[in-house]
Amino acid sequence: MSHAETMVGAPVQVRGAFGRLLRSELRLQLGRRRNLVLLAGLAAVPLLLGLVLFLTRDTDLAGQGPGFVGKVTENGIFLVVASIFVCLPFLLPLTIGIASGDAVAGEASAGTLRYLLVVPVARTRLLVVKALAALAFAGSAVLAIAVVGLVAGAAFFGLHDVVLLSGDTVPLGVGAVRIAGVVAYVALSMTGLVAVGLFYSTLTEVPVGAMAATVVTAIVSGVLDTLPALSAIHPWLLTHHWLDFAEFLRIEPDWQVVAGGLGVQAAWVAVFSALAWARFTTADVSS
Amino acid sequence: MTETSPLPPSPRRTLSARARWAFPAVVAVGVGAAFAAPPLLASADSSGLPPVTPEELVAAVAAAQPQALSGTVVYTARLGLPSLPFGPETADPVNLLDGSSTLRVWTDGGERSRVSLLGDMSEFSVVHDGPEVWTYASSDDAVVHYTVSDADRARYESLKDDAAAGQVPGGADLPTPTEAAQQVLDQAEQLSHVSLDAESTVAGRGAYQLVVTPKTPGTLVARVVVAIDAQTQTPLRVQVWSTQDAQTPALEVGFTDVTFATPSDSVLAFSAPAGATTTEKVVTLPTDEQIAADHAAGADGELPEGVTVSGTGWATVVQATGVDVPGLVAGDPSALAAVPSGHPTIGSESAQGLLDQFGPQDGAGPASKFQGLDPAALYDSLTTKVPEGHLISSALLSVLITDDGRVLAGAVPAATLQAMA
Repeated sequence: MSHAETMVGAPVQVRGAFGRLLRSELRLQLGRRRNLVLLAGLAAVPLLLGLVLFLTRDTDLAGQGPGFVGKVTENGIFLVVASIFVCLPFLLPLTIGIASGDAVAGEASAGTLRYLLVVPVARTRLLVVKALAALAFAGSAVLAIAVVGLVAGAAFFGLHDVVLLSGDTVPLGVGAVRIAGVVAYVALSMTGLVAVGLFYSTLTEVPVGAMAATVVTAIVSGVLDTLPALSAIHPWLLTHHWLDFAEFLRIEPDWQVVAGGLGVQAAWVAVFSALAWARFTTADVSS
Repeated sequence: MTETSPLPPSPRRTLSARARWAFPAVVAVGVGAAFAAPPLLASADSSGLPPVTPEELVAAVAAAQPQALSGTVVYTARLGLPSLPFGPETADPVNLLDGSSTLRVWTDGGERSRVSLLGDMSEFSVVHDGPEVWTYASSDDAVVHYTVSDADRARYESLKDDAAAGQVPGGADLPTPTEAAQQVLDQAEQLSHVSLDAESTVAGRGAYQLVVTPKTPGTLVARVVVAIDAQTQTPLRVQVWSTQDAQTPALEVGFTDVTFATPSDSVLAFSAPAGATTTEKVVTLPTDEQIAADHAAGADGELPEGVTVSGTGWATVVQATGVDVPGLVAGDPSALAAVPSGHPTIGSESAQGLLDQFGPQDGAGPASKFQGLDPAALYDSLTTKVPEGHLISSALLSVLITDDGRVLAGAVPAATLQAMA
């Protein structure tokens, strides 16, 4: 056993140490200028989308567009769903890939990882804190789109009773709860990608590599999802169930579909967190 | 630098690296088992249903009351048609022609029901509430409301009472498994062998499998398999197998999930949402004389002018003459007048609704859906050029459109039609 261990000994369980570590990590993640710029970029999407739809609402282009884009002019609350739909294929995975890919590799490349471990903090605990911070960032990314979408939608088009995909109208309060369900489902759908990013982040000291690998994983998963020849593996793909958030806007949401989508995310989280843990607790940290 | 400062130890390193790497492998196996186990468990308890004969089973199905239920139906067509140039992601009934579609079904077992065809971000709903039927397409926010005129409403009520008294077998609507199976069983007795296959599990429920094998040679239909719920005698799945593919059924419609309980009232009711474009259509009920005339025509084997039928049973070929198909394809309205029986009608309001969605319709509607598509080019890409004309061949049905304006169709191989032309 090394000299250091006899000096430091097993980490002393200090009350609140985990909470302090988590708080400082969250402050770091959510206060970093780069991450704030990313959040602002995502928040600009509903603003831009709302503005374009507002300016074209009296032209022939009104009421057209994929997904829920065509419904926004009738009811501003759909700007939340439309913005999420627009960001889901690329912008959200990109943002989350940057944050989670940077989690461990960023510290390693800056040379600060070993100081964190000297503190002393058990590696498992540091990994958990890193994961929680990345999850918090993913949640705030989805929330940023949703909140700005709601405010912009209300300002541009007003909020009205919600017409579901089934053609039935529900009161605004019920509709808002369903849209909150959409936001929560999408946020939880990002957990698998966060776990994948965290694993890549433990593999390398080059944060850009981990970020790129995470984004590429999401994109490759999306491409595989479009190939009919691979339909057998589609239900287990990372991105396959992302668009199932539409379930919350049907007259009777099928909770099996929702649970299925979240179950697949849980599976990805379990496997890739375990991989990240195995890698991080056995790796030689030299920088 | 690394030499002078000792590596920060991973504290309490009690597990070897190998043991740590074994952990993700264990997790992966556990996850795999968690996903694989429920289907295996579900299929394990399918045996042990009381034995029945085909006759008892058919009788039980015929006698069974329509069940209030809600569930998810998956419909898969592997007809081998050329792929259509429409994306599969929107809820559009045209996608039922090929590929897989998911539908949600709710019915109270009587005259209120809702069927929703699900798309990724869209839905096409048909809501049937007594004398009224609505269709709603979320992709273009369009409602079509079918209703009977006030004069017909009283007649509708009396027809309904007749039906309740058992004078008319339950009305046919969209082909839910229930109705599709009923049609198959009616056909079965004269022209087919009916037998029982091994018990199966459909939507987690133990089911008998009734197999209908055509007696007629020369048809594309190899067999029709109907899975019937052992408890409620509700047909849960219908598979149509083609002679050309022994591995997978060419057509399959079945529940993946079903609950036998009356759905909530909000699901079975409908009112057009604000802002939707609503089209009102008044459906005229056929009078007693018309129904009688139709029955007489059917009994005499009298066919509309220009239509002949040859072959028997499953190998029947219908031939219509004097159809200007290229004219129809090009959108020439005068060509429609030449079609025997004019506008096709179906004895069910909601099926009629679907038909109207596709059919030629005052220039609006479906035409706008195919904007930018050349119908003639579409026609050419869907059909194959053969010496006799144009041929559409699929796993279950062949259609030959000859150059002299005859249309031959039947569940027979394309070569049969070509020989007849």
